[in-house]
Amino acid sequence: MHKGKFLVKRLIYIVFVFFIISILMFGIYKSLPGDPVRMMMGDNVKPEVWQQQYDTIKESLGLDKPIPVQYVRWMGNMLRGDFGYSTEYRRPVKEVIGVPMRNTVTLNLVSMFIVFIIAVPLGIAQAVKKNGVFDKIVQVVTIVGYSVPSFVIALLAIYVFAIRFPIFPISGVKTAGFTGTGMEAFLDSAKHMVLPVLVLSVGGIGSIARYVRASMIEALRMDYIKTARAKGLKEKVVIYVHAFRNALIPIVTVTTVWLISLFGGSIVIESIFLWDGLGKMMITGLNQRDFSVVLAMQMFYVILSLAGNVLMDIAYTLVDPRVRLED
Amino acid sequence: MQTENKKVLLSIRDEKQYFPIKKTGFREEQKYVKANDGISIDIYEGETLGLVGESGCGKSTFGRTILQLYPQTDGEILYEKDGQMINLKELPAEQMRELRKDLQLIFQDPYSSLNPRMTAGQIIGEGLVAHGKFKKGDPALRDYVMDVMKKCGLDSYMYGRYPHQFSGGQRQRIGIARSLALNPRFVVCDEAVSALDVSIQSQILNLLSDLKEQEHLTYLFITHDLSVVKYISDRIGVMYLGNMVEIAPTEELFARTLHPYTKALLSAIPTTDANDKRERILLEGDIPSPVNPPSGCKFHTRCYQCQEKCKCETPVLEDKGNGHFVACHYPLEA
Repeated sequence: MHKGKFLVKRLIYIVFVFFIISILMFGIYKSLPGDPVRMMMGDNVKPEVWQQQYDTIKESLGLDKPIPVQYVRWMGNMLRGDFGYSTEYRRPVKEVIGVPMRNTVTLNLVSMFIVFIIAVPLGIAQAVKKNGVFDKIVQVVTIVGYSVPSFVIALLAIYVFAIRFPIFPISGVKTAGFTGTGMEAFLDSAKHMVLPVLVLSVGGIGSIARYVRASMIEALRMDYIKTARAKGLKEKVVIYVHAFRNALIPIVTVTTVWLISLFGGSIVIESIFLWDGLGKMMITGLNQRDFSVVLAMQMFYVILSLAGNVLMDIAYTLVDPRVRLED
Repeated sequence: MQTENKKVLLSIRDEKQYFPIKKTGFREEQKYVKANDGISIDIYEGETLGLVGESGCGKSTFGRTILQLYPQTDGEILYEKDGQMINLKELPAEQMRELRKDLQLIFQDPYSSLNPRMTAGQIIGEGLVAHGKFKKGDPALRDYVMDVMKKCGLDSYMYGRYPHQFSGGQRQRIGIARSLALNPRFVVCDEAVSALDVSIQSQILNLLSDLKEQEHLTYLFITHDLSVVKYISDRIGVMYLGNMVEIAPTEELFARTLHPYTKALLSAIPTTDANDKRERILLEGDIPSPVNPPSGCKFHTRCYQCQEKCKCETPVLEDKGNGHFVACHYPLEA
């Protein structure tokens, strides 16, 4: 009952924020220097017809109208699922954005999965044997992984695994001219994914393992852990049921924030590995003044972080019965 | 007075519990906090042994070490089960885990000792499942838990509630129900009522004494509240800086106090009697560090009748008759 009311309120709030941000974004991109029509026309147009062609394209893109009218049209189209026309690719944004979106999401989900299956047990093992030799070694390794910038790790990984020992391809999503299907295609793209996933995971493992360790140590210090031991529960139950479930609360927060930043933060990684993803697309779009693409992606990030925050609130209630979604 | 004909439940000999402290220098010698420094006492079946002393004298450590919640440093803790004395320190972890249903603990702080993510019913029932008394999800478990809750003064509608939805007194009742659900023989009540206000304290104390009669329990009642300990205990042990300085039956201890420290403690009990002529004994200074305890009698730095002998010779617990033991070179009235 409470949950339903809460969600409705949150959704209204999200819609509100969404529109405000969209107006801001639209305004900012419209006031940026650079002319998309000119970019689109190129240099090979005869001077006699130049002005005429310029006006035609401008009109067809709707750029001759006043900005508020443009905004309403853009927003209306967006809501109908039409994200505009890419001046760079000369195709609708929707068609252009499909493949990169799939590539980015796959890359991030795979690395997130890997981060979790490694970081969580690692953090727990550290917390249980706090200040032991294992803990100290992992502490050093995680702080290094966490603080070295990802492009440094990326270059290192390329040097070691693609140049000195050419096990994995340097960059790209799949081998050029590759035509295999089924299992072969899967193996090919998996091979291309290894290095970017490795680089994305190193930083993630570093920070998540440290958070898990810290919140587990906090949870293991609580009196109810002694209660659980005094009950005569098995040590495994004490650690995984009593301590870990309580340690989850701060982990949920960090994970959501990190998850949102993962989609934006992979711009660097995608550029280095020439990964045909959203990040790379964003950079190209900005360079080419392809505002339809950039705006559509900006709005994707906005929705992602707004939805992420609601998901975080719901996750809190699942994790901690003291948290109630009210007012 | 009754020591001979009573059955010993726990026999503790020279129990020591040290905690290492973090080294500050690189080549510094490892130092220890000597929380319990050689405690010997027998606990008889069916009695309530009160344990008093200042903050930091090692009372709670003693209770928890008996239950093997810390890795015991030294000494023997023998637990009587089916006519055999079992040394708890030597017991493998798995067997100790099984024994835990006999040896239970009620915590001081009812706020932090209950897992905030479990309902009252889960908290009370979990131990029963762990010890194989019931299967998980068994309807009989629910009935049993509700029965225990009722015994401890909790209504059955509270079964599905979370700890934060209860008051302090109710939470303490959950803690008590939790430990008693396993049908223990020995319960350590570690400051079980200190966190509660006075009216709730008396309710909980009465509940504990009723349950003791019904379930034939033995209590180790740890507290710094002398009025509470006088009310509930059969015997009282007085601790100072990791050692037991005096043990006596309650009446005897109040009537014939032998140790100067006990005397000082008892003189601090507040009274409403205007004609009370007791002399208030003020101890000077703070309790010394348990890292470097004073030589000889540990109390000599604060004792008001300290002599040369006290500074170098450590007194041992001596029987002064009537089940009264004292560790002092110059006991009062002796």
